[in-house]
Amino acid sequence: MSGQIIEESNSSETKELEQKQDKQKEQDEDADEELRKLLLPDVQTLPSTPPSAVESNFAIYFVLDFMKPRHDQYVYRHANGLCVIGLAPSHVAFNDEGGITAIDFNVGKSDRSGVKVTGKRKKNAQHFESNTALCKVSTKNDSYIVRCCVKGSLLEVNQQLIKQPELLNASADREGYIAIIMPKPADWLKIKPSLVSLEEYKKLREVS
Amino acid sequence: MVRQDGYQFDSFSLEVSIPPLILQNEASLWSYMQSKYGSEPWFREKIHTGCVSIKDALKFSLINPLEKLLDCKSSLCPFRIRLTYTHTKASEGVAKCSDNGGSCKRRKTGESDSIGEGTLSSSVEDESFDFSKLFPKSENEPCNFSYNCSRTPFYFGGRYLKYSRNVSQTRWIIDDERMGEASVEEIIGIKVLQACGGDNYKFHAAGREDIDVRMLGPGRPFILEVQNTRLVPTEQFANDIEKMINKEENKLVRVNNLKLVGSDGWNLMREGEGEKQKQYAALVWTSRPLKDEDFQQVSSLKDLKVAQRTPIRVLHRRSPLEREKIIHWMKMETVAGSSQYFLLHLCTQAGTYIKEFVHGDLGRTHPSIGSILGCRAEILQLDVTDIKMECFLT
Repeated sequence: MSGQIIEESNSSETKELEQKQDKQKEQDEDADEELRKLLLPDVQTLPSTPPSAVESNFAIYFVLDFMKPRHDQYVYRHANGLCVIGLAPSHVAFNDEGGITAIDFNVGKSDRSGVKVTGKRKKNAQHFESNTALCKVSTKNDSYIVRCCVKGSLLEVNQQLIKQPELLNASADREGYIAIIMPKPADWLKIKPSLVSLEEYKKLREVS
Repeated sequence: MVRQDGYQFDSFSLEVSIPPLILQNEASLWSYMQSKYGSEPWFREKIHTGCVSIKDALKFSLINPLEKLLDCKSSLCPFRIRLTYTHTKASEGVAKCSDNGGSCKRRKTGESDSIGEGTLSSSVEDESFDFSKLFPKSENEPCNFSYNCSRTPFYFGGRYLKYSRNVSQTRWIIDDERMGEASVEEIIGIKVLQACGGDNYKFHAAGREDIDVRMLGPGRPFILEVQNTRLVPTEQFANDIEKMINKEENKLVRVNNLKLVGSDGWNLMREGEGEKQKQYAALVWTSRPLKDEDFQQVSSLKDLKVAQRTPIRVLHRRSPLEREKIIHWMKMETVAGSSQYFLLHLCTQAGTYIKEFVHGDLGRTHPSIGSILGCRAEILQLDVTDIKMECFLT
């Protein structure tokens, strides 16, 4: 007799517990549903080709004929002042058959790929002028010096290029960047007038 | 006097600060007695049973009248009344103390802020200094008296959600211009401050998100410290403030589970902050249409190791390092009407830069979604969908 009563009271307890769990599950599902609604975008508002990370986060400049004809380079300047330097698509090196085959950072007085910059204050960073050599890129028959274009501290060079110089041929504007330089605000203001915008670059070099 | 400021309290804790000169006199008198009567048995007994210092005697005599005046009991509690007695004549002992080489340590006592008092009380323990040499001189000038009252800080804990992509977590001002239209800390802090009449607030959160990233799901844990409140906040009070913040028309920020927390709140929040996993949803575009195999490939990657060099966007203020982070799992969800846009859900180790994992940061984050899929990938929007921490969930 008593066994029966215990069984009954157990089942009503478990029923209560189940109801509680169901209610919690419902609440969780509602929360998930609300979250999904917030996350899903309205496709109508999305552009077919969105701006790239570089276009969204950097101001894009070009320097033409830097010290030598057709030595064109780009300077991407971030809002925080850092400048990414690289070869513009119209650089003379890309005209050579086979494109760029090798890169050497050991130019000038030191191997640029060897310097270790550390800490928030960027200790050990070398201070370079705008015409200081960054590296030498070689094609089948020729080689060209790439320079800083912007006066400042050299924070890093793209080590990936040493093992994979073909990055320069495939995506010089992204993974094939050459170096990152940190100019002082005053030095940036001095150099800026000699740089051209993307629009002007397209016109001057007749690139689409 | 306390009513004027509008303090609400049901008990108070009394602190008294007396001029160094009195302490010096007391010390020299004691030292004199020690040398004269040190060997006497009645003296030794007195030391044994304990003597009341001048400061304590003053406190005892003041407590009862204050209790009657304020109509409540004195006890150890957050509401403090401080009575400060100062004297224009500086203590001679202090000057001599500081000559005493380095043996006088500046001891920080909770009650006194007068440096002279602190140095003197520590030097009283320094037996090498003979106070009996400084004889108390009779003083005719009375002391100056000032008072003030304050309350120890209260702490509110909870979780916040951020629905706006134009609101920063903390106040962000560059060249006198505010970045974004508001900040989470101000939205929550100002409301709480006004409601309980505090002097100022400090906002502490478990991690942070960019201004253009929404904080969804259960929200991010935070603690708001409010100093010198005039009213005493209660649980009900916390509930009311939460409702008030969430009722705001512009719905920029939401607060959940706001309640008063004690010192354990800090431990809950800081514990394992760096280890906790975070979950995100990113709206990603790829330069080529994706197929089922791509979706499966991404889902199959578990605990993927990613090497991230310091992103260019923070490289100006952070050390140039390569940090290894783990992407625990990923799931891609199609977006109706597009073969090149999809929602990427991912769960990562704390400290992972998600935007850079998507677009690759010029190859400085490797692997990236782009490198995994063999195409270019861009991130349009990012949302935090879960912070896997145990605190402030109810």
